[in-house]
Amino acid sequence: MTLFVTALVTGLGLGAMYGLIALGFQITYSVCSRVNFAQGSMVMLGAVLGYVLTERAGLPVIVAYPLALVGCALMGMLVELLLVRPFAVRGSEAWLMATVAGGILLDNAVMFTFGNEPRSLPSPLVEQTWQIFGTGVYPQQLLIPLVAVGLAVSLHVLFRRTRQGRALLAVVQNPEAARLMGINTTAMISGSFALSAVLAGVAGLLIAPLLSVHSDMGTLFGIKAFAVAILGGMTSASGVMIAGFLYGLVEALVTTYLGSSYTYIVVFALLIAVLAVRPNGLFGTAALRKV
Amino acid sequence: MSESRLLDLSILALGVLALAFLGVVNGYMQFVFGLVAIWTILCTGLNVLFGLTGLVSLGQVGFFAVGAYAHAILSQAGVSFWLSLPAGALVAAAVGCVLAIPAVRMAGPFLAMVTIAFAFIVEHLAIEWRALTGGQNGLFGFDQPAIFGYVFTEADLIRLAIVLAALGLLAYRRLSVSGWGIAMAALRDQEVSAGSLGYDPFLTKLAAFAIAAGAAGLAGGLFASLMQFIAPSNFVLSQSILFLFAVILGGAGTVLGPLVGAAVAVLLPEFLAGLAEYRLLFFGALLVAVLLVAPRGIVGTIAAFLPRRAQPASAVTPEEALAFVSPETPEGLRVSGLGISFGGVKAVSGAAFEARPGEVTAIIGPNGAGKTTLLNMISGFYRPGEGRIETGGTDIAGWSMHATARQGIARTYQATRLFGSLSAEENVLAAFPRGRFSGVFTALGTAERRAMAQGLLQLVGYEGAAETLASDLPHVDRRLIEIARALAMRPRMLLLDEPAAGLMQGDKRAMSQVLRRLADAGIAVVLVEHDMELVMGISDRILAMDAGEPIAFDTPEAVRADARVIAAYLGEGTLSVPARSLAHEPGAMDTLIAKDLCAGYGAADVLQSVNLRVGKGELVALLGANGAGKSTFLRTVSGLMAPTSGHVILNDGYIGGLPPHQIVERGVVLVPEGRQVFPELSVAYNIELGAYRRKTRPDASELEAILQRFPRLRDRLHARAGLLSGGEQQMMAIARGLMASPKLLLLDEPSLGLSPGMVEELYAILAELRNDGITILLVDQMASLALAAADRGYILEQGRIVAAGSAQELLQDDALIAAYLGGGQERAEAAQ
Amino acid sequence: MPVRLNLTRRTVMAGAAALGLLSAVPAKAQEDPIKIGLVAALSGQSAKSGEAITRGIMLALDKINGEGGVLGRQLELVSRDDESNPGKGLVAARELVQREGVAALIGGLDTPVSLAIVPFANEAKVPFIGPWAAGTPITKNGAEENYVFRVSAVDEIVDEAITEYLVTKYGAKRPGMILINNPWGESNEKGLLKALEARGMEHAGIEKFESNDVDVVPQLTRLKENGADGLFMVANVAPSAQVVKSLDKMGWDVPIASHWGPAGGRFTELAGASGEKVHFIQTFLFTDPEHPLFVKLQEMFPEIETLADVTPATGIANAYDSVLLLAAAIEAAGSTDGPAIREAMYGISGVEGVIKTYDTPFTPDNQDALGPNDYLFSQFVDGQIIPLAD
Repeated sequence: MTLFVTALVTGLGLGAMYGLIALGFQITYSVCSRVNFAQGSMVMLGAVLGYVLTERAGLPVIVAYPLALVGCALMGMLVELLLVRPFAVRGSEAWLMATVAGGILLDNAVMFTFGNEPRSLPSPLVEQTWQIFGTGVYPQQLLIPLVAVGLAVSLHVLFRRTRQGRALLAVVQNPEAARLMGINTTAMISGSFALSAVLAGVAGLLIAPLLSVHSDMGTLFGIKAFAVAILGGMTSASGVMIAGFLYGLVEALVTTYLGSSYTYIVVFALLIAVLAVRPNGLFGTAALRKV
Repeated sequence: MSESRLLDLSILALGVLALAFLGVVNGYMQFVFGLVAIWTILCTGLNVLFGLTGLVSLGQVGFFAVGAYAHAILSQAGVSFWLSLPAGALVAAAVGCVLAIPAVRMAGPFLAMVTIAFAFIVEHLAIEWRALTGGQNGLFGFDQPAIFGYVFTEADLIRLAIVLAALGLLAYRRLSVSGWGIAMAALRDQEVSAGSLGYDPFLTKLAAFAIAAGAAGLAGGLFASLMQFIAPSNFVLSQSILFLFAVILGGAGTVLGPLVGAAVAVLLPEFLAGLAEYRLLFFGALLVAVLLVAPRGIVGTIAAFLPRRAQPASAVTPEEALAFVSPETPEGLRVSGLGISFGGVKAVSGAAFEARPGEVTAIIGPNGAGKTTLLNMISGFYRPGEGRIETGGTDIAGWSMHATARQGIARTYQATRLFGSLSAEENVLAAFPRGRFSGVFTALGTAERRAMAQGLLQLVGYEGAAETLASDLPHVDRRLIEIARALAMRPRMLLLDEPAAGLMQGDKRAMSQVLRRLADAGIAVVLVEHDMELVMGISDRILAMDAGEPIAFDTPEAVRADARVIAAYLGEGTLSVPARSLAHEPGAMDTLIAKDLCAGYGAADVLQSVNLRVGKGELVALLGANGAGKSTFLRTVSGLMAPTSGHVILNDGYIGGLPPHQIVERGVVLVPEGRQVFPELSVAYNIELGAYRRKTRPDASELEAILQRFPRLRDRLHARAGLLSGGEQQMMAIARGLMASPKLLLLDEPSLGLSPGMVEELYAILAELRNDGITILLVDQMASLALAAADRGYILEQGRIVAAGSAQELLQDDALIAAYLGGGQERAEAAQ
Repeated sequence: MPVRLNLTRRTVMAGAAALGLLSAVPAKAQEDPIKIGLVAALSGQSAKSGEAITRGIMLALDKINGEGGVLGRQLELVSRDDESNPGKGLVAARELVQREGVAALIGGLDTPVSLAIVPFANEAKVPFIGPWAAGTPITKNGAEENYVFRVSAVDEIVDEAITEYLVTKYGAKRPGMILINNPWGESNEKGLLKALEARGMEHAGIEKFESNDVDVVPQLTRLKENGADGLFMVANVAPSAQVVKSLDKMGWDVPIASHWGPAGGRFTELAGASGEKVHFIQTFLFTDPEHPLFVKLQEMFPEIETLADVTPATGIANAYDSVLLLAAAIEAAGSTDGPAIREAMYGISGVEGVIKTYDTPFTPDNQDALGPNDYLFSQFVDGQIIPLAD
């Protein structure tokens, strides 16, 4: 029972975080059918900037974290401008490799500037534990799903309630008609990469107190979140969040009951099996083919 | 010397050179040579998958690992090197086949993820399956191969690797021009038309996966023997990225690319060895730089500057070509009760006709009538919801494209689907085997086939060079090549989707002669075509369709006289449009002037020096047959396309070439063909988005004014736009356009696909807008209706204005009828 | 424009090819410095430890070269990054030996990397000295002519020491193991089982975890439910911190005896205050800012401000002593020939290192310079490693 509750709490926390990062994939994919494969590095960037601004520059969290997210947004736009757009205009698929390379560059650049040893990002929410069903839980672990779901819901609302949000949805639903409305689709794509990086940055800031901050902390999160985005079908936001929770729970349960050595084997084999049955993911639908 | 011979010789020369060099370098450089050879083998396999077939795999390292472990485990179990090495490759290939089964159904990021997941699984299995793999510590020490008691030294093993790499490159060279290779390239360039040539996409992709996996497995085995040590950490995901990088860097799809890529990927870290910890930083930067500066890779970029050596082949005579395509057993096609729905909406229902061998059967009907959908069902692209398609006594309804094609049904496409990276001749060659792969290493382009391919190209009237790449050809030539390609399959039935669109009048006449001759040769020709002159001239029977249903199937004379057909084309004579209520003279001031405007897609201009003006407060109709360039004109004015030359002037300001959002800001709004709503947003939000570029936010009174104009939208204001009927969507699209307070409203085919009652309602609203002084440029295929509402009109044909005048004048003018039913071109040519 | 680009690309490629040919020509023997090769993780998670080793070597080279070098020649360091990847490490070792012509290799942070290099070093007859990786089979590799030496802890001996510690200090009767899931963990699993077996003791379970696990609670809960009264911990600094955090969450206060993993970084910053409860083994510690080597270190690397900035002092000390021993052997051998150096290794004595003075540190039966007497237990206090009072 205790084990199960622990697995549940861990799974929900991790799942929410995967979902949040995957939401970033989903947004850019919906807008322009491309993703930032350096998304994992954006997770790292959020955490590293958060650490540097609070611990080294001494800024209060309330100032530092938003600044860190602005940094992520700028980096997201930079990635789009330098590593995605030049290939998109040629109709080339090389953005895939280019963003992968961007991630390698960013990770290494951070290693040389930030340092190569893991550091700890303090949070008042990991200083004491709460006892829930006989198991200790950091409040931070409960905060992650709250923030993730809260963010996903507020994004959903913002997209519908604000003018720019609806313009973004318009680009997603019909890019050409959106251009005819006078919507600057280039700017919207750039914005979607910024937003995607911000979501990753939030995930980084949320998870860092539970782990540690270092330059290659994001790589695995990025890959797992991509798996989540694929599992969710790439185009549905709620699908991606649900897939995130599913992935996190399965991962935590496998780790708890089979041992963490088998996590990758079981989880990725399940992923392939699901995709074999549903090639467009759990919540994706095939587009109508036309000639 | 032919290009392929030259390539073969250079591979051999490089191999011999590498072997010779091995003798003079130190042990470490020998080892590096060995690594380059191993990488070359793997990358050559990956080149088949990525370069030739266009599938991205980030999981090659998984196959590399499978091959390495299989070979290592077998050889430690005492199996001879000469058995365990190929066994490793075979195991890897088999695993590749298993992975391919789910993977071939996927594309893009989904495929990438499956391959990533596979690589992870293999890596972690290698870690966990300690009994077999030695866990993290890996396996050490494998016996070197021996022949007749002679035990290989490390240098011998490297020699073996070099020989195998050279053989791999030779095999790739031969594979790439064989039936298999062409099928893979076809699949990469145009999956749909590869299917319609009879190629089985599943088998082709499976083969590519198996070859890539087998090559990776072979490379893995050699790697294990060379390193004398393997561990899971040799097989991490980042290694896969490097493999793919090597292929891209060298030049995906080129023969020598993998060798060059492998050499750079292996040697570069050697040069950077001194930089130690900065190496990855440098590597990432280099990767980005190469992708940006040399997207075709090193070999591809260099090859682009080398002259192409064409091996001339003499074409057979058109008579011989015609004899070739004449079917041995002519066969017809009988369609009955065929129907299909998309998302609950019937696109086609109850379609029935018969196409007999030796006859030309035409399918006509206005836009949106379901003609192409009908062809799609017959050719197996769509699975029909109901009905039968019989040929040779078999019902083929619901068969896959490649099965249908092998049954003798060939087709062309409305928007041509040639294999862009293949030459004109190769496009035709690809069709000869009818999807049978034949030998893996036998070139598809035998002398006879090449002669026949060129003969077929001449037969359809293609006059360009046979070695030009399809992607570099003008639109018209692509149509011709596509027909030649379909003919190379020796089809019994030939389905053509608008073969004459965009052709000049003279070419059209030649085309109709060719089609007639093909029919006379015994082929059952089925034709979807808008050019009435051509259709009426060569068809034996015509199926007329409207709104998804057949309305007539008869001889040309009978169809031409059919009242329902005429109504479907020119609009119901019974529909009425209110006349201008105010007797004011609009158009004194110019709102829009197009001056010598040219624009088009790719090689050829669709619009040819169009001069047109719209005065302030005028409603001007732009008329013409399908493909005349009406939509292109509107798209150019609204900024979706850039003009190639000429000017667009709006109220004395040049707007030609500006991006669409700036043009919208200046007050030109296009209500596009097919409504183009935002389906998931509510009607209110859709309408509001129309005002996106306006400085002032729309207020409630404005919305109210719109709703008074479009009372139908009031009840649906909060419904999702995608749920609206076609007519309601059209109203909403116009309302959305009006929200921008446009200085000029462009309407593209507003009546398309609407019921007569709805069309009348729509035109009443247009007349109201006109009376309120809004400047409108209207494109509608219901010519009589459009002119009834318009002040003035222009008639466009073949991208040129062939007539202009007041609406009254044009209604009397036979140019209008000619534009729709053919014959206007002589006028235009005479006028110039 | 494209033509110009192509030309530059051609030039670059031609240059690259020329470079390749140059490097392919065997290096000529000359009175150059004696090269010492280093293969270690200089990037990634273990980079900090790689940095410590590099610093230790630099300090030693500085001292030796300042005193006139070896055989009248200067010593020179050539480093290669192995990215903690055995395959890369092996290739790097080959390159250092066959192309750079190094006289000896130092390296191997991670046991798998060292294990991959061992057969090559023995075959190439090049001395290979390990300043870090503690896997038992690295030096006990069964080769007839063993070229592998070590100036570092040895898992088997460490395991014996931490078992003794847990038993005598805390009276543990049924300790549990929480081990990182990699070869290092595997090696210690064997060593710990051996140590327990020798005492006829039972264990409460062997649990493995991954370095990026957020939560180790499930594994620890199983150990707790099995009645563990003490824990053996084997993992690098960040995963070790995850174990301590998970213990905190569970509210389980249990004595922990650890391998030296926590020393590799800012352990208490990562693990929180409870990190101070972890007792771990070390071969060397800077306790005095006036220590001559520490002063030297600060001179060479001004970024080191306090003792807390040199968390893996062990790495520095081991590497420093490794180089001193190697230099002594080369001097004694009178040549840079591998077999000669190896023979000389068995003969050196009275070498004053920073950990201790080495008297006959190596014999053909024991190629480990450090033994149980050289280990000291320590803990973090205020972010600084201090030795535990006995």
